[in-house]
Amino acid sequence: MPLDTATTVSGLAVSGLVKEFDGIRALNGVNLEVAPGTVHGLVGQNGAGKSTLIKILAGIYQPDAGTIRMNGAIHSRLNPPLAEKLGIQFIHQERLLVPTLTVAESLYLGAEPRVGSWINRRSMNEQAVTALQDYFGLAISPNKLIGELSAAQQQTIQITRALLRKTSILVLDEPTATLVKREVDLLFQTLQRLRDDGLTVIYISHYLNEIETLCDRVTVLRNGVDVATVEPRQTPMSAIVSLMIDRNIEDLFQKRSVTLGEPVLEVRELAHRNAFADVSFTIRQGEILGITGLIGSGAKEMVHSLFGLERISKGQVLIDRREVRLSAPSQAVRSRIAYVPEHRREHGVALSFSVRENMTLASLREHSKAGILIERSERRKVAELIAKLSLLAPSQDAPVRQLSGGNQQKVVLGKWLSRESALYILDEPTVGVDIGAKTEIYRLIGELAGQGAAILVLSSDLLELLGLADRILVFFRGKVVRELDASTADHDALLSAVTGVNDQKPDRAQKSTDYADYTDLVGQSRRVG
Amino acid sequence: MASAITSAHDPARRRVTRWILRNSLLAGFVLVFAALGVAAPGFLTWNNLVSVILNEFTLAAIISLGMTLVISAGGIDLSVGSAADIASLAFIGLVSVHQPFRLAVIAGLSGALSVGAVNASLIAGIRISPLLATLSTLFISTSVQQLASNGGQPIYLISGTLPEAFYFLGRGQLFGVPMQIYIVTVLAIIFSIILHKSNFGRYVFALGAQPGVAWYSGIRVSSTSALVYILSALVCGVAGILLSVTVKAYVPQSGNAYLLWTIGAVFIGTTLHSEGRPSVAGTLLGVLLLSIVRNGLLLIGWNFYWQQVATGLLIFAILAFSGSRSREAS
Repeated sequence: MPLDTATTVSGLAVSGLVKEFDGIRALNGVNLEVAPGTVHGLVGQNGAGKSTLIKILAGIYQPDAGTIRMNGAIHSRLNPPLAEKLGIQFIHQERLLVPTLTVAESLYLGAEPRVGSWINRRSMNEQAVTALQDYFGLAISPNKLIGELSAAQQQTIQITRALLRKTSILVLDEPTATLVKREVDLLFQTLQRLRDDGLTVIYISHYLNEIETLCDRVTVLRNGVDVATVEPRQTPMSAIVSLMIDRNIEDLFQKRSVTLGEPVLEVRELAHRNAFADVSFTIRQGEILGITGLIGSGAKEMVHSLFGLERISKGQVLIDRREVRLSAPSQAVRSRIAYVPEHRREHGVALSFSVRENMTLASLREHSKAGILIERSERRKVAELIAKLSLLAPSQDAPVRQLSGGNQQKVVLGKWLSRESALYILDEPTVGVDIGAKTEIYRLIGELAGQGAAILVLSSDLLELLGLADRILVFFRGKVVRELDASTADHDALLSAVTGVNDQKPDRAQKSTDYADYTDLVGQSRRVG
Repeated sequence: MASAITSAHDPARRRVTRWILRNSLLAGFVLVFAALGVAAPGFLTWNNLVSVILNEFTLAAIISLGMTLVISAGGIDLSVGSAADIASLAFIGLVSVHQPFRLAVIAGLSGALSVGAVNASLIAGIRISPLLATLSTLFISTSVQQLASNGGQPIYLISGTLPEAFYFLGRGQLFGVPMQIYIVTVLAIIFSIILHKSNFGRYVFALGAQPGVAWYSGIRVSSTSALVYILSALVCGVAGILLSVTVKAYVPQSGNAYLLWTIGAVFIGTTLHSEGRPSVAGTLLGVLLLSIVRNGLLLIGWNFYWQQVATGLLIFAILAFSGSRSREAS
């Protein structure tokens, strides 16, 4: 396979791409050369810039500097119609299909075969059957509704749909997250066949073994820069991993000396209808416990159940040695549990609310008498918190929508700092937060623990957990499979525990988990607004 | 970060836009007053303006107070008119058979509250969307009225046999000011405190702004929204009784005329706030503006249907204007 002919048709060359969000560089001069007719892998940690790069190729973001060369033409920016015209098609990890359309309608949406100005349904259905048969050997009725299909089938429909357009470059972002082994194999065969027919594929995955099997070359991104492009078949995986990891991130964390006090949270044999079972652990005063696991491992559900967001089927939760009932967040809050949610804009801050209104939403009772607000007390508290959090905001009364992602996250923290809680649950506390705010959030978490609070951090950022937590519980398939001491554990050990690869390759047939957490897509999209 | 804040959301510029927004409603007032003053002789007389307040403003204002709360919570209440009608039916029904006045009032309010309770249980209990839930209570209560009033027959009371309190509520004055004005004022102050000065009001706005955030902040979302619909029904009950004592009758479907009016008034009122939040003051100004337009057009001699067209256009114009202004501001 000739790899040095980047100038031929349908190849792609990106050079010096820069993209800034709020003064933070998500991309800092990325170069990427994808030779035509190859499968090119793209790997990197959360926040390395993969998603930003892909979104620039899709024309969703406009780069601040750099060029994109395709078909011999140089573009300084793309837009979605132009990207489509150039023949770049995207398969995102989320399935972007309308559940109420039929299979054939989805495949040909916007490009229906027509007779005059009428859609030719018969021909559309026939073509759909052929296409699915050809690409995936799949026999699905073209009249079936998307909502009736399995996750894997929906994924297949999406890929087929992209292939039916005039595609010269196909970009797949974590396409196997919801597929089982048989479907993955089929996908790989199809991709390899298409590549041999001249299709260019950009393949993003966290499964390094997939990269090894499928890709001709792989580019490693780190902190918005392409650190290396290698041939995966000739490169040991450990070398790729070490290229991905940025050791400097450990400097973000301040070492603290821990003096553990009384147990604050005691979880005894907690079980959920289908997500997890037999979970027991304790968090003491001053302790930071990290919890991690893939989507579907039960980690998220377990943490949600501690805030009354998921119903437990069995087990006990004790706060300060007293059993608490947690069937709704309001009960959890009254039991002195604070929760910083993962989805900031849906659950964390109301964007049209002012900084003050957001910050006191969980503690209004402390600023009111007989249900009537005492604004002076509210203002005093918020001023205090703004100083404590070094929050950058025009004023207390400014709507939170005017704040950057990091400052919005500080507002969420402020909301819970405004009341005394025994247990602070932080769910992906630094997703979509710039590095400056990140450091301050880590500092605040450390301080809180220092004041004797118990802290539970759920994170898919393993380095964050290693730096921040005292102990780490790893969930896999609904069980706690490992408990690690963060001061002695290393990234590789943690990663293997998380992915269930205690001894080499994971069994793809059994994997029903989803790696979505392990991509930085969320983070990037949040950072913009 | 800091630069983004100052360039796009310069506080000075914001203040200017807010000033313009605030004055779009005031400008509307000036324009309407001027136009009607010229076109409708007798519009700018004291007697006429008092009659606007009494005949057009009070009932719509009372119903709008509840609607303000509902829309602040991100909902809508289509059943306000039928709650008022049910109250009127129960109240007049009991008065017509010479039951004690106080009992009739309680029955009227309970009738309205039952509509609110159904709304609350549909919306907060089984989480049907407010639009559908209140639409279904609108239908149900309309039918219930027809069943209870002999297929929708009005009930007229015979003057002279009515209790004194009845007249007092309808036409009575205290220090030269009609009773109904006191009632509107007291209710407006109470609702203003509820919405703008209490914890509950903050929770209501949180629910309207981002229900997920309210839930994740430990606010009891269901009981908050249930209370909103019950309070809305309660003021509708008050309005229904006041309507009854004014016309001395139960007239089926008379409450429903207020529905679109009150919704329009609340949305006109949202133009006062930079984030488009409803407020009691804004709503009352909205109701006042719509009442004045209605009265003025009546004086000019436009028929009812053209009045409706004009009202619709006015609401549209104010919302479009403020919409374009706030887009510019953001």
